[in-house]
Amino acid sequence: MFKLLKTVIKTGEATTRYPFAPLTVSPGFRGKPEYDATQCIACGACTIACPANALSMATDVEQGTRTWELFLGRCIFCARCEEVCPTRAIALSPEFELAVGNKEDLYQRATFTLTNCRDCGRPFAPSKEIDYAMALLVNSGLPEAEVGAQRAHFETCPECKRLQSIPDSAKLTLSQPTLKGDAL
Amino acid sequence: MNGIDRGSFLPVGGAPTPISESEQTRKLKSTLLKDIQRSAYVYRVDCGGCNGCEIEIFAAITPIFDAERFGIKVVASPRHADILLFTGAVTRAMLTPAQRAYAAAPDPKICIAYGACGCGGGIFHDLYCVWGGTDKVVPVDVYIPGCPPTPAATIYGFAVALGLLDQKLKTSHHQQGESERALVAHPGLPLDLCVGIEREARRMAGYRDGRRIADDFLEILAAPATQPLAERVEHYLKHEDDPRLAEIIARLVDVSAQPAPGDRR
Repeated sequence: MFKLLKTVIKTGEATTRYPFAPLTVSPGFRGKPEYDATQCIACGACTIACPANALSMATDVEQGTRTWELFLGRCIFCARCEEVCPTRAIALSPEFELAVGNKEDLYQRATFTLTNCRDCGRPFAPSKEIDYAMALLVNSGLPEAEVGAQRAHFETCPECKRLQSIPDSAKLTLSQPTLKGDAL
Repeated sequence: MNGIDRGSFLPVGGAPTPISESEQTRKLKSTLLKDIQRSAYVYRVDCGGCNGCEIEIFAAITPIFDAERFGIKVVASPRHADILLFTGAVTRAMLTPAQRAYAAAPDPKICIAYGACGCGGGIFHDLYCVWGGTDKVVPVDVYIPGCPPTPAATIYGFAVALGLLDQKLKTSHHQQGESERALVAHPGLPLDLCVGIEREARRMAGYRDGRRIADDFLEILAAPATQPLAERVEHYLKHEDDPRLAEIIARLVDVSAQPAPGDRR
């Protein structure tokens, strides 16, 4: 009897104080994905990685916008989005109190503008993605002025770039270029 | 099937017709919730879940979280229930049982969509054999997302359902502002080095932790050099106190010392 009481007193109270006191979660706990829209470049890597399709992206060519959407109700908190995000725009937080009465509150959206191709005028990529690619080129050692001067090139869609790089048919020779000697 | 018209439950045109609440029931519920002075009994309706949610519901009533101290008790019949917890993505076969459980619970009742599957179908949302979410079948009052929701999240969800706590989440819609730019993570360091470090860290520590470790290490590298790198790294490792981290960081120091593979200068 005394032994039992001793054990009970020694153990103390096992029940947590939650919800009267905040609950401390373990390090590495995966809670609500915290999204920083200013850092997002709308590349869509997270929407491809998301196994539950909680993240989705819709491109509106008429409006020239791309809308990112998170439906938290479908999220399985796997952190794949955090792993693949190139700009660290999304990261899982320890926030776990996610219950809502209204389903609409489980949605989070962000709209980004697309850049129109300088040649054909059709929208082809989010403007922030192009800016980020140029910033990366500067980061990798190219002079800023040189990258900036090529903005027209970056704001051309891949199809137009392909058309531009096709050589003029009048200058084409029909013979195959052959290797002479050991000149490679 | 006494008193239940089975015909009205069957799906019409490939989709179930959700049961709707009458105005009177809604009024009854709001009156009850305004001044709830009794226990709330919970009945669990498993609509084809993986059992993860059930385990977490069970964890919520064990001594650690002890939902029963608030009078929240899991009962064995929907006829005793005030709260119906729907788990799972509602498989085709579970449609009628779910609606029968709903019909069997006395009014006013609170329906909770529990877990990712219950809220919107979860990873099964586009499968041919599920209806994809509780709200396709019955009127839902509260959604508790999570895969599965932790016991604490469950208790919070009950509190929201009973009107004791307010919900924290709000929907938001960000519009891209003028001259809004994404920032490069480590502008002071060459890109090749950042990529090399991150690749090695992720190879050794896994994708999520690898990114974090690489970011910590690159921050140390980029910091103004008041001390030699070795000392700064040592200080960091002492602070973190993890032998696994020490091994990874030692490898990262090696990688940062050799020229990057793409570097031909």
